[in-house]
Amino acid sequence: MATKPTQDLDQKTIVIEDTESALNAPVRVKEAHPIIYPLSLPETEERKATPAVGQSASRPDARLHGLGQTKYIDDIKFPNMIYAKVLRSEKAHAKIISVDTSEAEAMPGVYATLTGKEIPTNTFGPTFQDQPVLSDTVVRHRGDGVAAVAAVSEQVAQEALKKIKVVYEDLPVLLDPEEALKDEVLIHPPKSNIYTSKVIKKGDVEKGLAESDHIFTNRYKTQFQEHVPIEPHASIALWDGNGRVTLWSSLGRITLGREDMSRTLNLPQSKIRMIGTIVGGNFGGKNEITNEPILALLSKKTGRPVKCTYTREDEFVSSTIRHPFIMDFTTGVNKEGKILARKIKMILDGGAYCSWTGTTIGKGSILAAGPYNIDNLQVESYAVYTNKTTTGAMRGFGAPQVCFAYESQMDEIAKTLGIDPLEIRLRNAFREGSLSPTSQTLHSVVVEESLLQAAEAFGWNRS
Amino acid sequence: MLVELKVNGEKRSADVPPETTLLKFLREHLDLTGAKLGCDVGDCGTCTVIVDGISVNSCLMLAAKANGSEVTTIEGLANTSELHPLQKSFEELGALQCGFCGTGMLMSAKQLLDENPDPTDFEIRDALAGNLCRCTGYTKIIEAIKDAAKNMRAA
Amino acid sequence: MKRTGKGMACMWYPIGFTVMANPSAATVKVNTDGTATLLTGTVETGQGALTVLGQIAAETLGIATDDVHVVSGDTDTTPMDTGAIASRTTYVTGNAIVRAAEAARQLLFEAAAPLLNVKPDQLEARDKKIQVLGFPSRFLPISQVAQHAETNVGKPAIGSSSYNPPTVEMDPETGQGKPFNTYVYATQIAEVEVDDETGEVVVKRIVAVHDCGQPINPMLVEGQIQGGISMGVGYALQEEILFDDQGKQINPNLTNYIMPTSLDMPELDVQLVDNYDPTGPHGAKGVGEPTAVPTAAAIMNAIYDAVGVRITTLPATAEKVMAAILEKNAQEA
Repeated sequence: MATKPTQDLDQKTIVIEDTESALNAPVRVKEAHPIIYPLSLPETEERKATPAVGQSASRPDARLHGLGQTKYIDDIKFPNMIYAKVLRSEKAHAKIISVDTSEAEAMPGVYATLTGKEIPTNTFGPTFQDQPVLSDTVVRHRGDGVAAVAAVSEQVAQEALKKIKVVYEDLPVLLDPEEALKDEVLIHPPKSNIYTSKVIKKGDVEKGLAESDHIFTNRYKTQFQEHVPIEPHASIALWDGNGRVTLWSSLGRITLGREDMSRTLNLPQSKIRMIGTIVGGNFGGKNEITNEPILALLSKKTGRPVKCTYTREDEFVSSTIRHPFIMDFTTGVNKEGKILARKIKMILDGGAYCSWTGTTIGKGSILAAGPYNIDNLQVESYAVYTNKTTTGAMRGFGAPQVCFAYESQMDEIAKTLGIDPLEIRLRNAFREGSLSPTSQTLHSVVVEESLLQAAEAFGWNRS
Repeated sequence: MLVELKVNGEKRSADVPPETTLLKFLREHLDLTGAKLGCDVGDCGTCTVIVDGISVNSCLMLAAKANGSEVTTIEGLANTSELHPLQKSFEELGALQCGFCGTGMLMSAKQLLDENPDPTDFEIRDALAGNLCRCTGYTKIIEAIKDAAKNMRAA
Repeated sequence: MKRTGKGMACMWYPIGFTVMANPSAATVKVNTDGTATLLTGTVETGQGALTVLGQIAAETLGIATDDVHVVSGDTDTTPMDTGAIASRTTYVTGNAIVRAAEAARQLLFEAAAPLLNVKPDQLEARDKKIQVLGFPSRFLPISQVAQHAETNVGKPAIGSSSYNPPTVEMDPETGQGKPFNTYVYATQIAEVEVDDETGEVVVKRIVAVHDCGQPINPMLVEGQIQGGISMGVGYALQEEILFDDQGKQINPNLTNYIMPTSLDMPELDVQLVDNYDPTGPHGAKGVGEPTAVPTAAAIMNAIYDAVGVRITTLPATAEKVMAAILEKNAQEA
């Protein structure tokens, strides 16, 4: 039955109610589209100037962000795309006795499930491969993935997770890093819980302490911090008819991500394409693969593109977080506040898997003594496994932790000796050509300059 | 159920399950992906849009509740020849880094300036308190809003 | 009563690890109109890396930022990169880009040299021109040279290269060696107000003076410092993931994991130290991570100055500060 199209003259849209009127309609139905016309605005001077270095040029990607045109992974849609979710462990430390996905698979709207056994090489890790893609024998923290589901919508996938039955056998839960040092409960048997350590020795620290006028001993501790990238982790996997898989990922390291995919899927690198789009914040937390192999396999099983985004809870529980440090600083100074010796012992809570701990312990240990000339130095650091969220790369890699310690102690020393905090730092700071804790000759050194410039800008009057 | 509303001045409608949030309605049914999903529970503000003149977390509003309303999203700020002054200031003053919080920030800022064309520093901070940003430390965002407000008052 | 205090912290941070190889590769293609395309395998994580890398390429070719289009983040089309991590992008990927742009530029010099009657090593690229060193009036527009190189000489100006900070082994027993190619330094000074009846700490202002070598884009460097400080304020006073005795996170959401909002940010005075590192691309080092390093320490030192309590475990929540104040009062009584 033909009816007239309703036309709201104020609006640019005409609502068509049936086929015949569609054929008779004077104007094509217009949908509200975001602006896609090139906006011909004058470019800023800084972008047009030479030389280019030193220009505060505006960013072309910022233009797109402001327009809402940037396509982050969650904004990308492919035809016939389905959605995956991962079931996280209910236990912090347990053996997996069985995983039964049959009820989930039978749910309407569910296309496929995946467990760890189906992953060709079920291990990954940026330093060494101690982490499963999907746990199949043991779970070591509550963020471990145990099974995955691909379904017609995120909601159905989430519901399907509830139907997966996992039988666990409890293992003792180890949470305290100082307890973990004892190796009474092993998290990655037969390996010790102390999975990486670092030693730095320079000069003779005991001699230096013996020669000191004052010795300060302090313990400092820091907490777990989460990156909170405003964009949660997201990835999409899709295959072509030639057995080539493309991953769209929020990963910050696609070259190495492709290598990881090649390893876990047993696929040549030439059959893998990894695309890193504009990422909504990384801060270190998006530097290793997470779901990508799972999505690739689900996509292969279902013949459809598969997308997975982390919920905000997943971001906290299943993505990496910053290492808490327990730091013991023993520092010997002379009467003028000059540091003669420093002995540091650090314990890193290394979480359930290694991730980026090697780099964190390395950097943290090298930086631990601070930007100060110290002839006699000893640093001993240990990272231990615990049954808590994997600790990994986070902005600073140990530097914020150790800076809190060495700068707090510097002020303690200053207070006790009655020396101004600025003055004591100037007496000890690196200069051009100073030797670092690893006896590296430093160039381009500006500690003193930064101290003086900051003090002046702040209005710090040296007492 | 059928939800009909005006988005950026145009009438839009879609048939959606009743529990669909306004955010999902915009992103998945209308293909307006400017508003983002950052937490889905109203903590982060990346989903901020303006509904009948008030900035709301669209992840907390059911699409059905917005039936018949006028909704403004980021896609409605610029026109074919000009950026909105807020978009221009944000871009030129470096207030957008990764951009993920950006669209929500811009909508909160727009609502503020629509009501209060000459806000104080505190009023700006207060208006943005529900929009989390991890990249910028908010400083350049506040400067950009002041700059846009000044330009809008001069126009 | 509200008490004011000030505290400072200085720091150092490494750029470009040398303990193991971490190369970046890049390709620069000069178009026949003198604009260019840069291919890099790094990924933009929001900090503005692609803009900065484009500026580095533009500088080497003597053209403007706007003349360079940056393509990134696709293993099919962009060369390898160890990744956008550890503040290495400006320095390591940047150095790769300088070398790639120099290789492309060399082909331009070789094409232009016979036309200007000089040898290629007597030429420079500046202000969109290929000109003779010391005799800038003898020049050709870069567009003309690029066109000539492709269609007459038959050698299009494309350059590819890679860079790795020279790998140096460390002594396994003493950790001695050269683990990084260069370092950056900074000082942050914080002014806080502590309410000695509630323990609440408000950061009023922070002065931050950072070294990043030659800043490629000062506005983006400033943005990084401001952002890093906000993470540092959160680290100092608010953020903490808590676990129960079964290893379950108690606050895995943004309602109960407190991080800085616009109301928490202090007044910031951000400055750069004048510096130039000859080992970096056009003198640059890096800035992404150092910005978040000294903030917590400066705030803790300021709290001590304000109320005389030393917080030795982060974060310095109001409860913790209050407990410390009460303990101090009890001890003094």
